[in-house]
Amino acid sequence: MDQALQVIFSATFIAAVLRVSTPILLPALGGLISDLGGVVNIALEGIMLTAACAGVLISVATQSEWLGLLAGVVMGVLMALVLAFFHLNLKADLILAAIAINILASGGTIFVVFLLTGDKGSTSALVSKQMPFVEIPIIKDIPVIGPIVSGQNLLTYVAFIAVVLVAVFLYRTRAGIHLRAVGENPEAARSVGINVRAQQYLALGLSGLLAALGGVYLSMGYVKFFARDMTAGRGFIALAAIFLGGKTPWGTMIAALVFGAAEALSVQLGNLRIPNQLVQMIPYVATLVALVIYALVQRQRAIARQRKFRQTQTTVASG
Amino acid sequence: MQATLPTTPSFDRAAERARVQRERRRTAMIDVLVTLGTIALALLVGFLVMLIVGKDPILAYSSLLGGPLSRTNRTGRWIEDATTLIILGLSVSIPFRARQFSLGAQGQMFMAAMIAAVIAIYVPMPPLVAVLLPLAAAMLAGFLVGLLPGLMKAYLNANEIVSTLMLNAVVVLLYDFLLTNVFTPPGSQSLRSEAIQAGSMLARFTTLLGVNLGRANLAVLFAAILVVAVWALLNRTPFGYEIRTIGANEKFARYGGINTRRAIALSFAIGGAIAAVAGVHLVLGVHQRLIPGIAAGLGFEGIVVALLARNNPLLIPITGLFYSYLRVGGDIMEQEAAVGTEIVLVIQAVIILLLTAQVLVNYVKSRSRPVRET
Repeated sequence: MDQALQVIFSATFIAAVLRVSTPILLPALGGLISDLGGVVNIALEGIMLTAACAGVLISVATQSEWLGLLAGVVMGVLMALVLAFFHLNLKADLILAAIAINILASGGTIFVVFLLTGDKGSTSALVSKQMPFVEIPIIKDIPVIGPIVSGQNLLTYVAFIAVVLVAVFLYRTRAGIHLRAVGENPEAARSVGINVRAQQYLALGLSGLLAALGGVYLSMGYVKFFARDMTAGRGFIALAAIFLGGKTPWGTMIAALVFGAAEALSVQLGNLRIPNQLVQMIPYVATLVALVIYALVQRQRAIARQRKFRQTQTTVASG
Repeated sequence: MQATLPTTPSFDRAAERARVQRERRRTAMIDVLVTLGTIALALLVGFLVMLIVGKDPILAYSSLLGGPLSRTNRTGRWIEDATTLIILGLSVSIPFRARQFSLGAQGQMFMAAMIAAVIAIYVPMPPLVAVLLPLAAAMLAGFLVGLLPGLMKAYLNANEIVSTLMLNAVVVLLYDFLLTNVFTPPGSQSLRSEAIQAGSMLARFTTLLGVNLGRANLAVLFAAILVVAVWALLNRTPFGYEIRTIGANEKFARYGGINTRRAIALSFAIGGAIAAVAGVHLVLGVHQRLIPGIAAGLGFEGIVVALLARNNPLLIPITGLFYSYLRVGGDIMEQEAAVGTEIVLVIQAVIILLLTAQVLVNYVKSRSRPVRET
């Protein structure tokens, strides 16, 4: 137990939390945007997977991590737009279409990898480029904080900067406010002249962009190869992080960090001769528990709101 | 169908009935045509993909579409896989009818396999009981694994897609843990449990008929019974009515006095109990022991089977046979043409996308509507 506590309160552990939170935070921010736009994106998982695969394959082919990143993002956005087209233009059920996108991503990536390498498991035979790790001058020399904040992968910084950008976009820009209006009440938004379909295309497109960054981080930051189904449910954990974070950017970030901590803990505990599978369960169990907690809190709030509403009604009536 | 109501005072009952029946037959025909068209289009997409990647699509498709019937043991694999998929399709069709996206079949199968195996390996039982007891226990386990996300959805409004998928991951890891640490006998070379007792094994057609039909077994009967049972449940019971009403319009169902929460939670749980039968099929019929990843890769297969059948239990055997034919053909294609069997997943995704695209389906329907003389 002492050992475990020591592990948790070390700078390396906190640095690890930031590292493993990244591929949850990025898709969660994307999912947040689409969720607030009224189009829940269940396909985050598949979008990440496609981007991870495309990133590695293009970076191997061109020997450029930047072209890999670009390819991953383009593929991710493309997948999101396919989903948007089927839902918004062809009126397909959003959830079923997203499930189809996930199946397409899982099958399609393995199909392509097998075709190119003859190996179904992973592309470890190919040497991929990696997104750069950034040493921040001055900060890197500060004790404790230095090893945490400095030396992370570029995309980890992107993820945390994205929290600010998403918050500004959603609450401080015209497009963001229109987008939330569409999610709140599409009929009302339409009546004041907002193009609902365009806003929802934007919402899904942005969610694809952010999820794709998360996918590229997994295959070209976290490791240097693509493995089948390497997202391992992160796209769905990201969805849970949105709910748990109360559908706000900052809340989502905190929730993603909590899930990241659970996962980092499971990695650390793995070194302590606790059975591997039980430790691996931690993030999934944490997600389940978080879902229940979120739901309970929501219900309490609803009850409180109702009570307040009744109180005001009685005061109005008696006053 | 928006048929114009007859306004003439002389209302001919018999003629009207005949007209309604004719109309029904026609819609059913169109549904079948839309489905067949979708399948053809999806296969065409697969064909084009192979053409683009430079594989020989003729060779690949001849093994994909001809493979399962080329040898009796392959046909056996088809029957075996179809049994699983039909049961899975039935399992998914119940929550789907209530418009609940329960994706927990995988976890339910793993849990059921585990429970059935523990009883079938360690508890000595007389014949018949040796099959029925593991089956009943596994179904109860599946029921409970389904009930949990069902309750979370119905009473807490927790997203069922996230909860079922997380639960799947937990159950699969638990299965892996128990198989490694408990069920594999010490000193065993490979990761697998002991064989189940002989009385629990579902007889295989290979021994029954003397033809090599691989591991296909009597669980086919389970699938047949379930088809009728699920049809009766959905169409001939109050619960089935509740489920269908919720699926059509949840608010209406609630105002109509249906306990929607109870019905929704139950739809998850009953789906779980049925998925458990698929898990039992894998343990008592196919593998006759626990092996790693016993139900791997079966997570979403029930969805496409149920969707193709439009959640109609009586059509699920047909779509299940069709889709497992593709799956088995895909494996054979991989061996013979070096084209990954995952192309079948791509075809599956295309089928789901096309079938749910209302605009496309309606377009086809509107084009095939005859001009009515009114």
